[in-house]
Amino acid sequence: MTTEELQRAADAWREGTIAPEDFARLESLLRSDARARRVWRRAANLESALQDWAGRDAGLSAWLPARPTARRHPLWWAVAAALALLASLAAYFVGGHRATERTVARLTVPEGTDRGCAVLTQAVDAEWSGPQNPPRAGETLNIGSLALRAGLVQIDFFSGASLVVEGPAVLDLVSSWEAACRQGKVRVRVPPSAHGFRFNAPGMKLVDLGTEFAMNVDPAQPDADVHVFTGEVIAHPAGGAELRLLGGQSLRGPVLASLDPKSFLPHGQLDELAAAQDSRRLAAWGQWSQRVRQDERLLVYYPMRHFPEWERLVNNVANGNDKSRNGGAVGAVWTQGRWAGKDALEFKRPGSRVRLNLAGSYDAITFACWARLDGIDRKYSALLLTDGYDPGEPHWQIFENGSLMFSIAYPNPAKPETKRNQIYYSPPIFAPANSGRWQQIAVTYENLTGTVIQYVNGREVSREVNPFHQPGRPIVFGACELGNWGLPTASHNFPIRNLNGAIDEFLLYQAALSGAEIAQLYEAGKSER
Amino acid sequence: MRPPPSPPENAAAYEGFVLLLVKHEPALRSFVRSLVPRWEDVDEVMQETALIAWRKFALFQPGTSFLAWAGSIARFEALKQVRKQSRDRLVFSDEVLELLAHEGLEESDRLERERAVLEECLARLDGPERELLQISYEPGVRLHEVAARAGKSVQAFYKTIQRLRLALLVCIERRLGEEAI
Repeated sequence: MTTEELQRAADAWREGTIAPEDFARLESLLRSDARARRVWRRAANLESALQDWAGRDAGLSAWLPARPTARRHPLWWAVAAALALLASLAAYFVGGHRATERTVARLTVPEGTDRGCAVLTQAVDAEWSGPQNPPRAGETLNIGSLALRAGLVQIDFFSGASLVVEGPAVLDLVSSWEAACRQGKVRVRVPPSAHGFRFNAPGMKLVDLGTEFAMNVDPAQPDADVHVFTGEVIAHPAGGAELRLLGGQSLRGPVLASLDPKSFLPHGQLDELAAAQDSRRLAAWGQWSQRVRQDERLLVYYPMRHFPEWERLVNNVANGNDKSRNGGAVGAVWTQGRWAGKDALEFKRPGSRVRLNLAGSYDAITFACWARLDGIDRKYSALLLTDGYDPGEPHWQIFENGSLMFSIAYPNPAKPETKRNQIYYSPPIFAPANSGRWQQIAVTYENLTGTVIQYVNGREVSREVNPFHQPGRPIVFGACELGNWGLPTASHNFPIRNLNGAIDEFLLYQAALSGAEIAQLYEAGKSER
Repeated sequence: MRPPPSPPENAAAYEGFVLLLVKHEPALRSFVRSLVPRWEDVDEVMQETALIAWRKFALFQPGTSFLAWAGSIARFEALKQVRKQSRDRLVFSDEVLELLAHEGLEESDRLERERAVLEECLARLDGPERELLQISYEPGVRLHEVAARAGKSVQAFYKTIQRLRLALLVCIERRLGEEAI
């Protein structure tokens, strides 16, 4: 085996893709040949050193900005942020990072491999049977079957066709141009762009020519009922002739029938129910929000309310409403939050951010927010980052693979001029299929045991202590940002970290909340029942 | 999993421990890397090793080799980790692992020198090559994931990485003179 062959075998072994016979050969070589073992160790040594080098370069030295004095001067931060942004944009577009950006783009653009064909746009009192992770509003639906036990949902196909479904119902999503109903009440709207959308029921195939129609499939009845409200549908009943149905006409099985339109799903019912549900949820959340802001452990609480007369104000309502902890929205745009009537801030432009400043040093922290991620198009997408990355400053972001990433760095005791980066990754959470929906994310860290616990939608997803943890080192903030990275060095490879998405509600505690408390935050704020 | 509490009377011991651990961490990491397949395994073994070493730190005799002492813990933890995986992956026999481990601790000085000249050799690569390596080896990044995202050129990606690693090994070798491999 040459060194190259050994390397190839080692790679395959590490990936778990090595063929049994190659593995047997590798093992027997390592057993019998001392030289092969040396080569093996040298390769492992190189890899280990490469990782150390890559982590150091990306994680530490380049994260250290030369701190401008502006950082300490509250009136100057906006100017400094603007300058830093210009610098990073310049670096991004004309500087030496083209190759990196290109390499990164080439290597990290994931293939769109999901089999999505529709989006679940609304769900009211929806109960699903079957899948362990029931779909939620805003989520992409893949090709396959859906069983709705109860409630009303709206499904918008990528073709433009839109279904409102009342449970109990069983649907098969075949493609963005075809679906079938095995049971349930469905109302279908097909805009001109989706002419030709096919909708099937037991014993019936319908091709839509731009219409609004409804279908009832009751397993207790031999035939499906169809009623066309407007437009035109071509029906192919099994065992009957092709029929053209126009507005006002109905079909029971293969024959035309006179059916009461009121027996079908009415138009607009879902919107009314959804609006009513939204206002119930909003009112309940509002009451909870008044209570939770009294918590003495809260340092910052942004419910994210838009004051049109103070466009840039991100109001802090944590106990005592400390104005010095108000945020300032820069380039971030107000949008609708979890419910109609609830505001949120969107960070879609590279310059979008909320600036805040938090003095003091802490032994424990909790970050919790409701976030909507529309895509991961950066190596790092910011949630909360301190300007720069000085010792004890926490960084909370989303890594390009969809993992939540919490990190904090402290001086390396052996080489105090350098730092040890403690990074904690959750398993990947964000994926194209769940983009666009509101999710609660949270992390707790306390500096005695060093435990970092990350949460998604009220549930723990990772728990970790870093080997470099040393008890009792303080956590500090200073100037920091929501949704972007304040003052990266111009030479950093990934200076632009704006969140492609929005934040609705942000809480920062000077304590590590328990899992039960995080679950309560989730229950009080979740967007649907 | 939590590290042991560090009451005030332990503070000096803890500091001494951390200094030693941090000093020898690259060597231990490289050692563990040679025994377990995945980076996650390396992290897990390192973490366990650090915790156990601290719990047993009272047994460590100052003046003897910390690397040899902690290395024996790491070897044991690595073997444990590998055995855990024996049901769903191909794993090396204990005999091979013991051989790799035993000799690995003996040549730790040489490996340290090799790590020390890595940066000089990296400097000889061109920018894009260095960046490729950096992206591939950044902690938390898995080689096969980066490769998979490269789309059609997975094979080419692997070849490139293997070529670069080989070039680095040759460069390191030259810089350290002709110590036989």
